[in-house]
Amino acid sequence: MTAVDKNRPAPEWIESLRRRYPCEQEMDRVFTRKLQRRAGPGYLPVSLQTLCDSLQTLLKTQLDAPFEIREPRWLTGGASKIQMAFKLDWNQPGVGRSLTSMVVRMEPAESIVETSRLREYQIIKGVAEILPVPPVFWLDEDGKYFPYPAIVYGFAEGVTKPSGGAGNVSGIGVNFGPALRRPLGKQYVEHLAKLHTWDWSRADLSSLDVPALGTQAIEWHLNWWERVWEEDSNIDIPLLRLAGLWLRDNMPSMDRISLIHGDYRAGNFLFTEHDQRISAWLDWELGYLGDFHSDVAYTTLPYLSHYSEDGSTLLASGLMPVEEMYEAYEKASGLTINQKTIDYYHIFQAYRSGVIIIASSYRPVRNGKTHQDILLTWIMGAGYASMGYLRDKLEEVA
Amino acid sequence: MEVRPEIQIQAMIKAMVDVVLPAVDPEQKMAQEQARLVIGTLGLIASRLPVAYRFDRDQLDRYVSLSRELVALDQADGGGQTVSKLESLAERGADVLQRARAEPAELESTVFDLRAEVSSLLQSLHKSSSPEKWNKVNRLILEASRMEIDRERALVVAMGFEPKPGSIPPIESLLPPVNT
Repeated sequence: MTAVDKNRPAPEWIESLRRRYPCEQEMDRVFTRKLQRRAGPGYLPVSLQTLCDSLQTLLKTQLDAPFEIREPRWLTGGASKIQMAFKLDWNQPGVGRSLTSMVVRMEPAESIVETSRLREYQIIKGVAEILPVPPVFWLDEDGKYFPYPAIVYGFAEGVTKPSGGAGNVSGIGVNFGPALRRPLGKQYVEHLAKLHTWDWSRADLSSLDVPALGTQAIEWHLNWWERVWEEDSNIDIPLLRLAGLWLRDNMPSMDRISLIHGDYRAGNFLFTEHDQRISAWLDWELGYLGDFHSDVAYTTLPYLSHYSEDGSTLLASGLMPVEEMYEAYEKASGLTINQKTIDYYHIFQAYRSGVIIIASSYRPVRNGKTHQDILLTWIMGAGYASMGYLRDKLEEVA
Repeated sequence: MEVRPEIQIQAMIKAMVDVVLPAVDPEQKMAQEQARLVIGTLGLIASRLPVAYRFDRDQLDRYVSLSRELVALDQADGGGQTVSKLESLAERGADVLQRARAEPAELESTVFDLRAEVSSLLQSLHKSSSPEKWNKVNRLILEASRMEIDRERALVVAMGFEPKPGSIPPIESLLPPVNT
């Protein structure tokens, strides 16, 4: 139904997109690889045994002493990657003989978000000095050992929502309940402030390009998501085109460079119920260097929120009223929020949501590329609430 | 013909609820989650199939109107854009609407082409329009999008992503009957 066959992309078309939408080098590599592989086979179910065999091969290259993989099992959570939990009986450096709970996180053939395992690995290694994150042990960047690229993490204790609590798939709309909101909300904001004020320049983040102050970061980012839209979308959406043009016309200048999580919301952190502590921040695959307003705006989006029990107060990420979150963030970070820039990034994030949820959910399912196509078709339903928000915000600024 | 999608889906849901789901090992969390998602998705398809054709026809009707308004807007001040493709697609869309026996796939592909051409013209107008003209284009697109998104949200409200689902009108109330 389209002149360009996006299911079997021609090399010339891939090159034209690369030229038209210059973005960070590592992301260019990831997107190009995605298109080059798209016409290939769909996702073939991988057994626990296959993953254990792959893991065994990887570990033989990393460990000298004998080891044993025990109790492998599937994990759910998240819409994009395949996850297997297991225990490793090994001689842990500096610790000695240990039984360590770990997780393999592996890409499917094509994901709702195509990202770099190297970036994810580097970012988590870096932020471990300031935030609770699962330890990362090993990286299979190009799928040399596993069927697809993968990371081996330490298993982080905790849950994404209270036992028996409500929430949709992928942690969207989690209701923590009144008792948990305050303790979790306080940590949630403090962690975001810590991340944004962290001196990332001392960490090895070689797979992230460092933008200049000004508008370069947002320009790269617009190129990223406009390119993904071109690569993945099926039917066109004039509203998204209008939003893309507005975003280009109104890029805000950035006066400090922060490490951005990229998906900072309820559902992407674990907490332990007995002491009400955030035990781990997950899903760093969308991280990049840019304007802190981007994360702050994302986490206060109404369609990632829900109303409190009185039915009138919208709780940002299900944790606290939006204005209260801005105030707490400024206090914790010492940074000043520019409301006009927040408005810009609300529009940007709604645009990005549309790209991911509508276009990048559709394309992998169309080609049978993931282990949970049915979940992606369900998630597509979230795209229209974000489009409604995008339209209303554009009307405000038009 | 008794074997219709409605009854087939109903039977699939029953098989999933009565047979498949109880047989899934409670420890296999991914299998449990996917079995429940299959049931939810089948239920959604079953409830939406009766309005699917009307939904698409209404969408084409609105895109034909939008396209004509865009063409008229561009031509009113002397134009400058190549709108002939959009004009011709709009007329094709109107023709499709007139034909009672249009295939659903034809309806779908015409919407597809009109959407693409509206988007293409939008980008071209952005480069060349005066601020006044661009402002009018903006308003047209935003108004058309409001109607479009209202219908889309109503169609998927049962999936549970709306903060205030009670504020979303039933999809049936937003789609005019095909014979009007």
